[in-house]
Amino acid sequence: MSLAARHLEANGIPTIIMGCAKDIVEYVGVPRFLFSDFPLGNPAGRPNDPNSQAFTLELALRFLETAPGPRTTVQSPLRWSDHPDWKLDFSNIARLSPEEIARRRAEFDRQKEIAKTVRDKTQAAE
Amino acid sequence: MSESEDGFGFAPEHDQPVPYLQRIRDYYQTLGYGTPYRWAHYAEAPFTPLTKPLRECRIGLVTTAAPYQPDKGEQGPGAPYNAAAKFYNVYSGDTAADHDLRIAHVGYDRAHTTAEDSNAWFPLTELRRAAATGRIGEVAPRFHGAPTNRSHRVTLEQDCPELLARLREDKADAVVLVAV
Repeated sequence: MSLAARHLEANGIPTIIMGCAKDIVEYVGVPRFLFSDFPLGNPAGRPNDPNSQAFTLELALRFLETAPGPRTTVQSPLRWSDHPDWKLDFSNIARLSPEEIARRRAEFDRQKEIAKTVRDKTQAAE
Repeated sequence: MSESEDGFGFAPEHDQPVPYLQRIRDYYQTLGYGTPYRWAHYAEAPFTPLTKPLRECRIGLVTTAAPYQPDKGEQGPGAPYNAAAKFYNVYSGDTAADHDLRIAHVGYDRAHTTAEDSNAWFPLTELRRAAATGRIGEVAPRFHGAPTNRSHRVTLEQDCPELLARLREDKADAVVLVAV
């Protein structure tokens, strides 16, 4: 997604990325990034909360109008929860048992194989 | 050195943006995969200022979400990661119609969110509202789906030019990209 924003922007179309992974998007390097400090999967606002979603889009639009230059990040003031502990869980290897790590490895290998099949089929159909 | 910090209102140490790069690197290394994934990384970024008022702009929308495919396994709220629901070509949809998009094919935070409300990752409803109130000129006639391909070559040489071509066809003045 970051690469797409860069490509559009380099070809004369202003862009804004809405996302929840601050370090990843900034690491790639993009023109404008609206960061919501929410669990991955909620870049456009809190689920089942139209006010939060309207607020987030309005932030994005204002940002699009006013960004002074590239690599600008705006952080939404919205909080996911009063407790920040959700931030400790995602892909946190220190929180997984050896059994869970083994299970996840097997599952990752299985999903990788499935993804490859879908990709190969897409290519074969072209 | 260690004076009491009670009463200063400081947030807990871990209350900062999640360090995903490090987490993901450690995660796959511990799972047993040797060479870590190399994220795209640039020192500079392009910039095109918006040159006309938003109320006169046609706004495009790009998503990594996928159309629901009933024959591709579990894709509902809280479904486990499902690579079968991935797509590898740019697709487009009519923004005047409603769409059943899902994110079971990407790595969202399954412990803390359920993906039950697509408005949290696909802001078409809000964009339409912004057009209705005159905040933006209009929503572009199509939205576009961007594949989440691990190959930077395919993304850069195939998907990015394809997205640009479609958005030019749509005459989009600016684009909102929503990353899940």
